[in-house]
Amino acid sequence: MTVVDTGLAAEYAAIYAYSAATVHLDGDPRWIAEELESEHRSRRDALLDFYDEHGLEAAPSLAGYDIEPVADAAAAQELLLGIETSVTATWRAGVASTEPHEREICLRMYGDSAVALARWRLAVGRSAADPWPGRPA
Amino acid sequence: MFTTRRGLLVGAAVLTAAGCTRETAHIITSDADLTAALHAARMLAAASDALEFGDFAEDHRTHAATLERLLRPNVVGDQTGELPADAAALAEAEAAAGTAARDACLTTESDYAVLLAEIAACRAAHAAVLA
Repeated sequence: MTVVDTGLAAEYAAIYAYSAATVHLDGDPRWIAEELESEHRSRRDALLDFYDEHGLEAAPSLAGYDIEPVADAAAAQELLLGIETSVTATWRAGVASTEPHEREICLRMYGDSAVALARWRLAVGRSAADPWPGRPA
Repeated sequence: MFTTRRGLLVGAAVLTAAGCTRETAHIITSDADLTAALHAARMLAAASDALEFGDFAEDHRTHAATLERLLRPNVVGDQTGELPADAAALAEAEAAAGTAARDACLTTESDYAVLLAEIAACRAAHAAVLA
Protein backbone atom coordinates (compact mmCIF):
# COMPACT_ATOMS: atom_id res chain seq x y z
CA MET A 1 0.00 0.00 0.00
CA THR A 2 1.49 3.36 -1.03
CA VAL A 3 1.21 6.67 0.80
CA VAL A 4 -1.25 7.82 -1.87
CA ASP A 5 -3.38 4.70 -1.26
CA THR A 6 -3.45 5.59 2.43
CA GLY A 7 -4.41 9.19 1.66
CA LEU A 8 -7.19 8.12 -0.72
CA ALA A 9 -8.58 5.83 1.98
CA ALA A 10 -8.55 8.77 4.42
CA GLU A 11 -10.46 10.93 1.92
CA TYR A 12 -13.07 8.19 1.40
CA ALA A 13 -13.52 7.92 5.17
CA ALA A 14 -13.83 11.72 5.48
CA ILE A 15 -16.60 11.85 2.85
CA TYR A 16 -18.45 9.08 4.71
CA ALA A 17 -18.09 10.92 8.04
CA TYR A 18 -19.31 14.23 6.61
CA SER A 19 -22.34 12.47 5.15
CA ALA A 20 -23.19 11.18 8.61
CA ALA A 21 -22.37 14.32 10.60
CA THR A 22 -23.42 17.35 8.55
CA VAL A 23 -27.17 16.78 8.98
CA HIS A 24 -26.75 17.40 12.74
CA LEU A 25 -25.25 20.88 12.22
CA ASP A 26 -26.84 24.31 11.84
CA GLY A 27 -25.68 27.81 10.97
CA ASP A 28 -22.06 28.53 10.05
CA PRO A 29 -20.74 25.07 10.98
CA ARG A 30 -23.37 23.54 8.66
CA TRP A 31 -22.41 25.47 5.53
CA ILE A 32 -18.69 25.20 6.26
CA ALA A 33 -19.10 21.44 6.70
CA GLU A 34 -20.91 21.28 3.36
CA GLU A 35 -18.07 23.19 1.71
CA LEU A 36 -15.43 20.96 3.29
CA GLU A 37 -17.28 17.80 2.26
CA SER A 38 -17.30 19.13 -1.30
CA GLU A 39 -13.53 19.75 -1.03
CA HIS A 40 -12.95 16.16 0.09
CA ARG A 41 -14.93 14.95 -2.94
CA SER A 42 -12.82 17.19 -5.20
CA ARG A 43 -9.63 15.82 -3.65
CA ARG A 44 -10.85 12.26 -4.13
CA ASP A 45 -11.52 13.02 -7.82
CA ALA A 46 -8.07 14.61 -8.21
CA LEU A 47 -6.52 11.50 -6.65
CA LEU A 48 -8.41 9.21 -9.01
CA ASP A 49 -7.06 11.33 -11.89
CA PHE A 50 -3.55 10.84 -10.41
CA TYR A 51 -4.05 7.05 -10.51
CA ASP A 52 -5.25 7.23 -14.11
CA GLU A 53 -2.31 9.43 -15.20
CA HIS A 54 0.19 7.01 -13.68
CA GLY A 55 -1.51 3.82 -14.88
CA LEU A 56 -2.28 2.74 -11.33
CA GLU A 57 -5.29 0.96 -9.88
CA ALA A 58 -7.19 2.89 -7.21
CA ALA A 59 -8.97 1.01 -4.46
CA PRO A 60 -12.72 1.66 -4.30
CA SER A 61 -14.34 3.16 -1.23
CA LEU A 62 -15.80 0.79 1.35
CA ALA A 63 -19.51 0.45 1.99
CA GLY A 64 -19.02 1.83 5.50
CA TYR A 65 -16.38 3.16 7.89
CA ASP A 66 -16.02 2.76 11.64
CA ILE A 67 -16.99 6.14 13.06
CA GLU A 68 -18.37 7.26 16.41
CA PRO A 69 -22.17 7.46 16.55
CA VAL A 70 -23.38 11.02 15.95
CA ALA A 71 -26.32 12.04 18.16
CA ASP A 72 -26.12 15.82 18.15
CA ALA A 73 -24.23 18.89 16.90
CA ALA A 74 -21.50 18.64 19.53
CA ALA A 75 -20.74 15.05 18.58
CA ALA A 76 -20.78 16.00 14.88
CA GLN A 77 -18.30 18.83 15.47
CA GLU A 78 -15.94 16.59 17.43
CA LEU A 79 -16.16 13.81 14.85
CA LEU A 80 -15.29 16.19 12.02
CA LEU A 81 -12.46 17.75 14.02
CA GLY A 82 -11.00 14.28 14.49
CA ILE A 83 -11.49 13.50 10.80
CA GLU A 84 -9.77 16.67 9.60
CA THR A 85 -6.88 16.11 12.00
CA SER A 86 -6.52 12.51 10.86
CA VAL A 87 -6.62 13.37 7.14
CA THR A 88 -4.02 16.11 7.65
CA ALA A 89 -1.76 13.72 9.57
CA THR A 90 -2.08 11.12 6.81
CA TRP A 91 -1.03 13.53 4.06
CA ARG A 92 1.78 14.96 6.20
CA ALA A 93 3.23 11.45 6.54
CA GLY A 94 3.04 11.01 2.77
CA VAL A 95 5.33 13.99 2.17
CA ALA A 96 8.23 11.88 3.45
CA SER A 97 8.00 9.77 0.27
CA THR A 98 11.20 9.81 -1.78
CA GLU A 99 9.24 9.17 -4.99
CA PRO A 100 8.84 12.65 -6.61
CA HIS A 101 5.29 12.20 -7.97
CA GLU A 102 4.09 10.83 -4.64
CA ARG A 103 5.72 13.60 -2.66
CA GLU A 104 4.24 16.23 -4.96
CA ILE A 105 0.65 14.97 -4.72
CA CYS A 106 0.94 14.38 -0.97
CA LEU A 107 2.31 17.89 -0.49
CA ARG A 108 -0.57 19.39 -2.46
CA MET A 109 -3.11 17.37 -0.47
CA TYR A 110 -1.37 18.19 2.80
CA GLY A 111 -1.56 21.94 2.17
CA ASP A 112 -5.26 21.71 1.27
CA SER A 113 -6.06 19.56 4.29
CA ALA A 114 -4.21 21.92 6.66
CA VAL A 115 -6.38 24.77 5.33
CA ALA A 116 -9.53 22.66 5.85
CA LEU A 117 -8.42 21.78 9.40
CA ALA A 118 -7.86 25.47 10.22
CA ARG A 119 -11.25 26.43 8.79
CA TRP A 120 -13.01 23.73 10.79
CA ARG A 121 -11.21 24.68 14.00
CA LEU A 122 -12.42 28.25 13.54
CA ALA A 123 -15.95 27.06 12.71
CA VAL A 124 -16.18 25.25 16.05
CA GLY A 125 -14.74 28.14 18.06
CA ARG A 126 -11.10 27.09 18.33
CA SER A 127 -7.96 28.88 17.26
CA ALA A 128 -6.78 28.16 13.73
CA ALA A 129 -3.17 28.48 14.88
CA ASP A 130 -1.03 25.34 14.77
CA PRO A 131 2.68 25.51 13.87
CA TRP A 132 2.86 21.85 12.79
CA PRO A 133 -0.47 20.82 11.20
CA GLY A 134 -1.07 17.09 11.46
CA ARG A 135 2.11 16.34 13.42
CA PRO A 136 1.46 13.56 15.94
CA ALA A 137 1.34 14.89 19.52
CA MET B 1 51.72 3.63 29.68
CA PHE B 2 52.42 2.19 26.20
CA THR B 3 55.68 0.43 27.02
CA THR B 4 54.81 -2.80 25.18
CA ARG B 5 53.47 -3.35 21.68
CA ARG B 6 50.25 -4.79 23.13
CA GLY B 7 49.92 -1.78 25.37
CA LEU B 8 50.40 0.54 22.41
CA LEU B 9 47.68 -1.25 20.42
CA VAL B 10 45.26 -1.18 23.35
CA GLY B 11 46.01 2.49 23.91
CA ALA B 12 45.39 3.33 20.27
CA ALA B 13 42.07 1.48 20.36
CA VAL B 14 41.02 3.36 23.50
CA LEU B 15 41.94 6.74 22.01
CA THR B 16 40.11 5.94 18.76
CA ALA B 17 36.99 4.84 20.63
CA ALA B 18 37.12 8.02 22.69
CA GLY B 19 37.15 10.17 19.57
CA CYS B 20 40.64 11.53 20.21
CA THR B 21 41.95 10.90 16.72
CA ARG B 22 42.67 13.65 14.20
CA GLU B 23 39.84 13.82 11.66
CA THR B 24 39.39 15.97 8.60
CA ALA B 25 37.53 19.15 9.51
CA HIS B 26 34.33 19.86 7.59
CA ILE B 27 33.15 23.38 6.87
CA ILE B 28 29.57 23.60 8.09
CA THR B 29 27.53 25.45 5.51
CA SER B 30 24.15 27.00 6.10
CA ASP B 31 21.19 25.31 4.39
CA ALA B 32 19.77 27.91 1.96
CA ASP B 33 16.20 26.57 2.19
CA LEU B 34 16.18 26.65 5.98
CA THR B 35 17.78 30.11 6.01
CA ALA B 36 15.13 31.50 3.65
CA ALA B 37 12.39 29.88 5.75
CA LEU B 38 13.89 31.48 8.87
CA HIS B 39 13.94 34.98 7.35
CA ALA B 40 10.29 34.58 6.32
CA ALA B 41 9.30 33.22 9.75
CA ARG B 42 10.84 36.21 11.51
CA MET B 43 9.17 38.67 9.14
CA LEU B 44 5.76 36.99 9.50
CA ALA B 45 6.10 36.85 13.29
CA ALA B 46 6.85 40.57 13.45
CA ALA B 47 4.02 41.44 11.06
CA SER B 48 1.51 39.21 12.87
CA ASP B 49 2.45 40.80 16.18
CA ALA B 50 2.13 44.32 14.75
CA LEU B 51 -1.33 43.51 13.35
CA GLU B 52 -2.39 41.78 16.59
CA PHE B 53 -2.64 38.23 15.28
CA GLY B 54 -0.82 36.96 18.33
CA ASP B 55 -1.57 33.23 17.89
CA PHE B 56 -0.25 33.28 14.33
CA ALA B 57 2.83 35.18 15.50
CA GLU B 58 3.44 32.41 18.00
CA ASP B 59 3.33 29.80 15.20
CA HIS B 60 6.00 31.74 13.32
CA ARG B 61 8.17 32.14 16.42
CA THR B 62 7.95 28.36 16.91
CA HIS B 63 9.14 27.87 13.32
CA ALA B 64 11.95 30.40 13.80
CA ALA B 65 13.17 28.74 17.00
CA THR B 66 13.25 25.34 15.31
CA LEU B 67 15.04 26.66 12.23
CA GLU B 68 17.61 28.54 14.34
CA ARG B 69 18.34 25.33 16.24
CA LEU B 70 18.76 23.31 13.04
CA LEU B 71 21.06 25.91 11.49
CA ARG B 72 23.52 26.00 14.43
CA PRO B 73 26.39 26.70 14.64
CA ASN B 74 25.51 29.20 11.93
CA VAL B 75 23.81 32.32 13.21
CA VAL B 76 21.46 34.03 10.77
CA GLY B 77 21.15 37.78 11.23
CA ASP B 78 17.85 39.65 11.19
CA GLN B 79 16.67 40.79 7.76
CA THR B 80 13.03 41.67 8.43
CA GLY B 81 12.60 44.63 6.04
CA GLU B 82 9.27 46.33 5.44
CA LEU B 83 6.27 44.62 7.07
CA PRO B 84 2.81 44.06 5.55
CA ALA B 85 0.57 46.99 6.50
CA ASP B 86 -2.80 45.26 6.93
CA ALA B 87 -4.48 41.86 7.13
CA ALA B 88 -4.85 41.55 3.34
CA ALA B 89 -1.14 42.25 2.81
CA LEU B 90 -0.28 39.81 5.59
CA ALA B 91 -2.43 37.13 3.88
CA GLU B 92 -0.47 37.73 0.66
CA ALA B 93 2.83 37.52 2.51
CA GLU B 94 1.74 34.29 4.23
CA ALA B 95 0.69 32.80 0.88
CA ALA B 96 3.95 33.81 -0.83
CA ALA B 97 6.09 32.45 2.03
CA GLY B 98 4.01 29.26 2.02
CA THR B 99 4.61 28.79 -1.70
CA ALA B 100 8.36 29.31 -1.21
CA ALA B 101 8.47 26.68 1.55
CA ARG B 102 6.40 24.27 -0.57
CA ASP B 103 8.76 24.69 -3.54
CA ALA B 104 11.73 24.14 -1.23
CA CYS B 105 10.11 20.92 0.03
CA LEU B 106 9.98 19.58 -3.53
CA THR B 107 13.56 20.45 -4.41
CA THR B 108 15.46 20.07 -1.15
CA GLU B 109 18.27 17.52 -0.99
CA SER B 110 18.32 17.70 2.80
CA ASP B 111 16.38 15.62 5.31
CA TYR B 112 14.01 18.49 6.02
CA ALA B 113 11.30 17.95 3.39
CA VAL B 114 8.60 17.23 5.98
CA LEU B 115 9.64 20.21 8.10
CA LEU B 116 9.42 22.53 5.09
CA ALA B 117 6.04 21.00 4.20
CA GLU B 118 4.75 21.63 7.73
CA ILE B 119 5.85 25.25 7.56
CA ALA B 120 4.26 25.64 4.12
CA ALA B 121 0.98 24.08 5.33
CA CYS B 122 0.87 26.33 8.39
CA ARG B 123 1.42 29.45 6.29
CA ALA B 124 -1.22 28.34 3.76
CA ALA B 125 -3.71 27.88 6.61
CA HIS B 126 -2.95 31.35 7.97
CA ALA B 127 -3.34 32.88 4.51
CA ALA B 128 -6.71 31.18 4.00
CA VAL B 129 -8.03 32.33 7.37
CA LEU B 130 -6.80 35.91 6.90
CA ALA B 131 -8.10 36.25 3.32
